[in-house]
Amino acid sequence: MKFGGTSVATLSRWQNILELVASRRAEGARVLVVVSALTGVTDALKQLCAQGEPGKRSEAAKAIAQRHYDLLDHMQLAMPDTLGERLADLAKLAHEGAAALGELAWQAQVQAHGELMSSALGAAFLSHSGLPTQWLDARDCLAAIALPNQNERTRLLSSMVDTKADPALNARLAALGEVFITQGFIAREAKGRTVLLGRGGSDTSAAYFGALLKAQRVEIWTDVAGMFTANPRQVPGARLLQRLDYEEAQEIASTGAKVLHPRCLSPLREPRVPLLIKDTNRPELDGTVIGPEVRAHAPSVKAISARKGITLVSMESVGMWQQVGFLADVFAHFKQHGLSVDLIGSAETNVTVSLDPTENLLDSDAIAALATDLAKVCRVKVIAPCAAITLVGRGMRSLLHTLSGVLAEFGQLRVHMISQSSNNLNLTFVVDEEVVDTLLPHLHELLIAAGALRTDDSALFGPSWQALYGSGESPAPAAAWWHESQRPRLLEIAAQATPRYVYHLPTVRHQARELKRLAAVDRLHYAVKANTHPAILKALAEEGFGFECVSPGEVKAVMAAVPSSAPLLFTPNFAPREDYAWALSTRSTVSLDSLYPLEHWGELFRGREIVLRVDLGRGLGHHEKVRTGGSGSKFGLPVEQIDAFLRLADTHGVIVRGLHAHLGSGILDDAHWGEVYAQLASLAERIGSVSFLDIGGGLGVPSHPGEAPLDIAELDRVLREVKAAYPQYQLWMEPGRYLVADAGVLLARVTQQKGKGTLRYLGLDTGMNSLIRPALYDAWHEIVNLSRLDEPATALYQVVGPICESGDVLGTDRRLPEAREGDVMLIAQAGAYGKVMSSHYNLRDEADEVVIE
Amino acid sequence: MTTTIQPRLTQLFRFVRCSYANGVAELVYAFDDGEELVERIRFPNAPAVPAAHATAFEAALKLLHLIAGVSYYKAGVPPKIEVATGPLDNATAELLDQLYLHGLAEFAYRNGLDLRGRIAFPRGAAAPTVQSLSLPKRTLVPIGGGKDSLVAVEAIKSIGGEATAAWVGNSALIAACAERTGLPMLNIQRELAPGLFELNRLGAWNGHVPVTAVNSAILAVAAILYGYDSIAFANERSASAATLEYDGQQVNHQWSKSYAFEQLLGDWLHTHVASDLDYCSLLRPYSELAITRAFAKLTPYFDVFSSCNRNFKLLGPKPADRWCGQCPKCHFVFLALAPFLPKPRLLSIFGRNLLDDENQTAGFDALLEYQDHKPFECVGEGAEARAAMYALSQRPEWQEDALVARFYSEILPQLDASELALEPWLVPGEEHRVPLRLQAALAAIG
Repeated sequence: MKFGGTSVATLSRWQNILELVASRRAEGARVLVVVSALTGVTDALKQLCAQGEPGKRSEAAKAIAQRHYDLLDHMQLAMPDTLGERLADLAKLAHEGAAALGELAWQAQVQAHGELMSSALGAAFLSHSGLPTQWLDARDCLAAIALPNQNERTRLLSSMVDTKADPALNARLAALGEVFITQGFIAREAKGRTVLLGRGGSDTSAAYFGALLKAQRVEIWTDVAGMFTANPRQVPGARLLQRLDYEEAQEIASTGAKVLHPRCLSPLREPRVPLLIKDTNRPELDGTVIGPEVRAHAPSVKAISARKGITLVSMESVGMWQQVGFLADVFAHFKQHGLSVDLIGSAETNVTVSLDPTENLLDSDAIAALATDLAKVCRVKVIAPCAAITLVGRGMRSLLHTLSGVLAEFGQLRVHMISQSSNNLNLTFVVDEEVVDTLLPHLHELLIAAGALRTDDSALFGPSWQALYGSGESPAPAAAWWHESQRPRLLEIAAQATPRYVYHLPTVRHQARELKRLAAVDRLHYAVKANTHPAILKALAEEGFGFECVSPGEVKAVMAAVPSSAPLLFTPNFAPREDYAWALSTRSTVSLDSLYPLEHWGELFRGREIVLRVDLGRGLGHHEKVRTGGSGSKFGLPVEQIDAFLRLADTHGVIVRGLHAHLGSGILDDAHWGEVYAQLASLAERIGSVSFLDIGGGLGVPSHPGEAPLDIAELDRVLREVKAAYPQYQLWMEPGRYLVADAGVLLARVTQQKGKGTLRYLGLDTGMNSLIRPALYDAWHEIVNLSRLDEPATALYQVVGPICESGDVLGTDRRLPEAREGDVMLIAQAGAYGKVMSSHYNLRDEADEVVIE
Repeated sequence: MTTTIQPRLTQLFRFVRCSYANGVAELVYAFDDGEELVERIRFPNAPAVPAAHATAFEAALKLLHLIAGVSYYKAGVPPKIEVATGPLDNATAELLDQLYLHGLAEFAYRNGLDLRGRIAFPRGAAAPTVQSLSLPKRTLVPIGGGKDSLVAVEAIKSIGGEATAAWVGNSALIAACAERTGLPMLNIQRELAPGLFELNRLGAWNGHVPVTAVNSAILAVAAILYGYDSIAFANERSASAATLEYDGQQVNHQWSKSYAFEQLLGDWLHTHVASDLDYCSLLRPYSELAITRAFAKLTPYFDVFSSCNRNFKLLGPKPADRWCGQCPKCHFVFLALAPFLPKPRLLSIFGRNLLDDENQTAGFDALLEYQDHKPFECVGEGAEARAAMYALSQRPEWQEDALVARFYSEILPQLDASELALEPWLVPGEEHRVPLRLQAALAAIG
């Protein structure tokens, strides 16, 4: 059992260790505890080593000793002799300095004291607490081996240990007792000198002991329950990995996961000792088990990670083609300048390598010197800052066909390099660093949606980080309105006719009131394209909403349904001249998003106040991927044309009263709107006439179970922060789907079933003709059998409609009760972009619409 | 709906009154017989004004009133200016005439106006006489969030000078930089008159105002109020260079950072407020390149500072939150730091490589004064930018980057290589008004 620096720094954490060790004893296991130094002590010892004056070194040693006295005090323990000796040793080493031992050996000896002291202290505490514990000097057990590629520094400060099983050590310990405590990080070399194991050394020590003793298992106790499918700080929805094989775990650890040092797995592989990662604070959680590959699983991506701060060096020359020794010469330069090469990609005339981020790279002239040397033999280009995004999973090549969505995502970016090695464990893309923070959560989602990361396999994947550690109590989501209270009524409505859309007005009002909590927003407009049913328009008018329309038809529908006091926005895209002319005759506020209308029909707008829709693009908008920003999108006026627009506006006496930008759809991250808002405000400052900013809509509605809903309070906080900086502008928004998606369901009836291979198809009396979102956007809609809501879900169905298109699929691989012809099926979240996008395709009847209170 | 454009038809700009009580200065202006425009400036934890400093304080406050009026005057640019308290002495009127003419030159150019002959502050009163107030030997250093003021701070720290990091407004970026300096901090708040936004909506003239002059006047008031004998700005040599010449008039975006303005205001403070209140720029002898070289050594500031004007009011932990990567300031600071920092370090500050992005071609061309004039921003001289670019074009780790390669193949052949050396830019000039007490700090900059 290994415990790190924070786990051994306080009395309460030691009581924790005591309990955990005692519980293992109670299971009949003999326990060896490996500890790190008290948190901060190793750094303090390093600083002591760097100190030139003996007086200052002695002072530093005293401060370090004091840390241990303080902890002893808390434990109410007398100074144990073992610790006293160590402290005296340290004082002596500090006073004398490196002279006698030699600099590096002295440093190793000094730094070893962190673990020597913490373990001595631990032995005293555990024994005193009724768990007799033997103190063991790790240096008597771990023998460092000399390797040909080592220099004196790595031999002493970053050593390796022989991991052959050591039955003699087993026998020796058996004679001594049941519970032992020893040091991580240290070993002894052939000449008898103390050596260090380098970074992550304590984990590695635990693994060495596991291998030498052929332990039942090695447990790494830390502050998190294990490895996750992604870094939880970047992807809160990352799932706990419950089972990994050694190679996968090592790959994940080397490509980003900080929880385990990659070095500590290889000693365990041959003796097949499993390693378990556990959370000290929450021992009840399962954790991650890393072991030999036990049984065959369907191949799955296990994790996605990103490493930032990568520098690429691209070398181009025909000289390398079929040239013996060219690469050897080139790589010699990297070695000479102390730069460590990670990935390599090559073509016939180009070799591109990636460099790990090191301080040497950032603060020395190494890159300049390297480039100068390389420039003599080839053209060299330094590309940075980049990030390496790695997908890890056994059998990666067999997963490629599932990755098309993911690859399409990369297709939108500058990918500098792709690397895949023959061990078939990973696939790495090197991209510009700036895109990574937004890209990673998105890719994680895409991998799940594509079935490449099979989170449905509960043997491999545990709960999400958000569920385990997320801040605040996330209340269980309220049951959908159709689930309980309205179910009998829905069955009645379906009995009259199907297919039918049913809209629940109380849900519309509830969502509207949620948005009205956004105190920073001065005016809300409902984007009516989502659903133009008059009852919904009326309900939202009663809630005080304005209306955003994109065509004369929508404006007319709204004007027919709502009072004339409700504000209207007319926000078309590539509309003909007559649309604008007509809209200007109504009370609508008109938006323009290109130069053309003012260039060609300027007099139409003379003296008018208009809204300018801008495209913040990729440049200004680091929030966005190229997909929605920049020239790839047909919406909005590019920022660089704003000055030209303003000149045209001036010429025609047109006043730009508002600025508008729209991000995209389904965004669940609050920070996005803050960024858009701030960017619009900084643009508006250059245009005196602007009085409001419209940050559009796109508020996400979670669809998959367990997805976190948008945090309205947090969004308000973000918006208020921007508003405080720009109080002179009113803030407008244009939500659509957020207001109506959950309020609508599509009711349909089971027609027939079919088995084909291993798949079972369940046919409904409507499909993509009524609801095209699954076919068009791969949207996921919950589907239930409303007639059999309480029956166990034992069948796995492909839910399809009657349209003659292979894309007419409403849901794949759905766990549902065994269905019968005539059962009423409910497709949820169909209130937005359902009916409005439906068609007569195949001349099937359209679903009608029913509104309920 | 149509609007009438009233502000542009006004005839008279009036300095109505100014007052100070309990840490709040109120500056009141009006157009014609219109509503009063009231600006408030809040001085935190303000002590009482000592009786011996009352006259000096009044004089500084009055100057602040007159200078801050530029933000309002420009809304209408009426033909006549009136000061309620009567005519000014000639030196004061001259200072203001110069400031309003040159400080609004860019504004005038952009709006197609000609202010020459239009600005005349009433003059004719007698000049006052002032003496030394024996102000405490400490310095107000305005912090801007960019590299320059941080170089100035570190220079004063290096000679053990007593200093306070001061700034006007509530920028989180500046606050973060000020905090990183470890100096005591003074954050003064300025609230523009709400009526100004209304005027803007009614079609007021809009554009650049000489905000450094306003901040200078605010700090002069603060120096008397809290007791400082010096205000040390960080305006560099190239701030004196004109951005362009238009119809015979020099237009300098940063005129209120120029040596001309520094001399005018510095002399005015000596003769109208206190003979021992010094106003100077510590970086005046240096080029932008000399300053970036000094800044390249100040690693602890790399993850907080930003010179970008676009992302100015908000900041986050990522480089892209502090650097938009699109504006002339981003372009210039990137280019000027590049010769003095390891490439990976520089790129980690900006989060991207602006010189390998073809979308930035026009921006860098403007800096190099290639097919364009220098941008209206506080950026270095074209020749400085060319020297930095030339240096990069000679370095293998940069020369394949898109814009460096373009410079090398397209622009360089048209330039005289003998004028592209970096070294001459690193030699400090002679011109400065740094008081004796602070001159040792100059050596720390290089």
